[in-house]
Amino acid sequence: MGPADSPYEGGVFFLDIVFPTDYPFKPPKVSFQTKIYHPNINSNGSICLDILRSQWSPALTISKVLLSICSLLTDPNPDDPLVPEIARAYKTDREKYNQMAREWTSKYAM
Amino acid sequence: MLQISPRLRNTLISIGSLILTTAVVSNAFYQRKQFYPSIIYITKSNASMAAIYFQGLTLVFLTWKLLRWVFFGQLRPAEIEHLVDKSWFAMTDTCLAFTVFRDEFNSSFVTLFTILLFLKCFHWLAEDRIDYMERTPVITKLFHFRAVSLLTTLSFLDIFFVAYAYNSLVTRGASYQLVFGFEYAVLCTAVGFTAIKYILHCIDSLHDQTAPWDRKAAILLYTELVINFSRVTLYTVFLVLMFKMQSFPLFAVRPIYMAVKSFKKSLYDVIMSRRAIHTMNTLYPNATLEEIRAGDSTCIICREEMTTSCKKLPCNHIFHAYCLRSWFQRQQTCPTCRLDILRPRRPATAAAPAAAAPAGQPAPGGGAFPPGQFAFPQQPHFHMGNMAFPFPLPPGFPQHFPMPQPGQAGPAQLPNLTGAPMMYPAFYPAGGMMPPPPPLPPMPVPNFADMSEEDLRRLEGDSRRALEMRVAHLRNIQALLDAAVIQFTQYLSLMTPPVVLPAVPLTSTTTIPTGTSEATVSSSSTNATPSEETPTGNSESDEVRRRRLQRFQNGLAAEQP
Repeated sequence: MGPADSPYEGGVFFLDIVFPTDYPFKPPKVSFQTKIYHPNINSNGSICLDILRSQWSPALTISKVLLSICSLLTDPNPDDPLVPEIARAYKTDREKYNQMAREWTSKYAM
Repeated sequence: MLQISPRLRNTLISIGSLILTTAVVSNAFYQRKQFYPSIIYITKSNASMAAIYFQGLTLVFLTWKLLRWVFFGQLRPAEIEHLVDKSWFAMTDTCLAFTVFRDEFNSSFVTLFTILLFLKCFHWLAEDRIDYMERTPVITKLFHFRAVSLLTTLSFLDIFFVAYAYNSLVTRGASYQLVFGFEYAVLCTAVGFTAIKYILHCIDSLHDQTAPWDRKAAILLYTELVINFSRVTLYTVFLVLMFKMQSFPLFAVRPIYMAVKSFKKSLYDVIMSRRAIHTMNTLYPNATLEEIRAGDSTCIICREEMTTSCKKLPCNHIFHAYCLRSWFQRQQTCPTCRLDILRPRRPATAAAPAAAAPAGQPAPGGGAFPPGQFAFPQQPHFHMGNMAFPFPLPPGFPQHFPMPQPGQAGPAQLPNLTGAPMMYPAFYPAGGMMPPPPPLPPMPVPNFADMSEEDLRRLEGDSRRALEMRVAHLRNIQALLDAAVIQFTQYLSLMTPPVVLPAVPLTSTTTIPTGTSEATVSSSSTNATPSEETPTGNSESDEVRRRRLQRFQNGLAAEQP
């Protein structure tokens, strides 16, 4: 579910979580199955989130990972973007970004 | 209708090229009526040659499609992405290589390069596929069949081409075959690595879920090291040969750089994981039952109950020893608080690089203290300074070791030290060195010598290396001593004017340091997280240092009369 204080509010986003055989020593592969307009999530659904890559720790649980993804939806990180165009929109024209994100949410996630 | 699906477009292109070729060939036959004249006609005419080349390209493309389908089936988006990236780099390298071999540039050269690119693509794809194997839950028989057949085919082809290049080099002397030979040799290492990975994954998947196979990561780590090493060696030999025979192989710079980089990384990984595991085994105490019961008794890594064989990290987090081991093979941080197990250092001062220099041979205790804690090991100095003399001299130095054991067990960290009293000297310098306390320059040096000796003892088997290490350590010690002397004189010259302020601060300083030291202790024990500690701790240690300096001056002043 998209967080309430974000343009993704009301959307239902499906995620794909694959656990490698040596989980928890390697991070699980999490990707969005639903299309989403977000600077850190690309069209393949790959998520650019440090704790899913280099900052992974075996102490993290799936609920914590999902929580971080939720907070990523509320506060995108435009300085380390996966989709530069969206990051630019987020930085320069927040209104347009919000509108696009809402549009995509209602189009793909409702 | 501008939007044509790539599939349709490809089909149209192949059909078009086929029609074109047929037209060209039939035209030639129609004009010349005989086989040889028509061949000559085609080769003489540029237009028809272009058509033929185009046909060749489409044929290559179709074979590629066919083989890809046979060995891989549908490619995943990530695989395609990697493939495109890598092939662009390979193309650039190839174009650079063409410039070196422009004299030998002919169609057979182009063909060989195409084949090489082709095989490279298959190697990359194979690697991606095998990596993917680790992540996918279901591995079908078809997958195994494809992987095995692909790997065998690739390795045979690689070996064949290496042998071919070698033969032609021996019989015909230096030529572009040298490049091919080495390229295929490198590909051989790649296919070998992939095959080893495949075997490991297979063994891993055979093990049942309840008892995972924990040696896989270690084996992979070492295999990677060996493979990368052989790759670097190959490239070095290649570089030397090329330099002798032709010219500097500009096109090989990028792959060589990549190979060296990955070798460095794998070497670093191996050293780091070894150090971390060694540090854990030797320095960190086994957690006692009370300690386990005191907190949450589930190991946060495997979520199972902890009973025995648990290790406690300097940040007080407790885990199963074997869980930690597996984790340290990948990263050397505390799973809970990300504290770097090997280098919990603060911003280093001038002497720190000198101390870090000999770290090539892992100092067993290479800094066993987290940022939040290292204010603490200095504490004995404080008390010693207050009780006996501001300057503990080397003869009086051993007195320090018994110090932390009895009385000051108040803060939670102390059991760490008492648990392994023998190891104390080994990591003592790390604590003392990190912020080389200006008034105590001689302190780190004897400790440092201690540590390096232990290091040497471990190196005893290899006499030459041991000797070299010994010399290196002695040099470092000398450098440290020199630095200390310089610092000493600097401080003295700086502080001579205000030395005049005599007995009055002397009394005040005797009381103040104890207060500050207790403050540091309490802060280091309460703030367990290092991140919170860093900003405040820095100024705090500066303050402490300043006070010590003052006290030292007073001590000197008191001594002189």
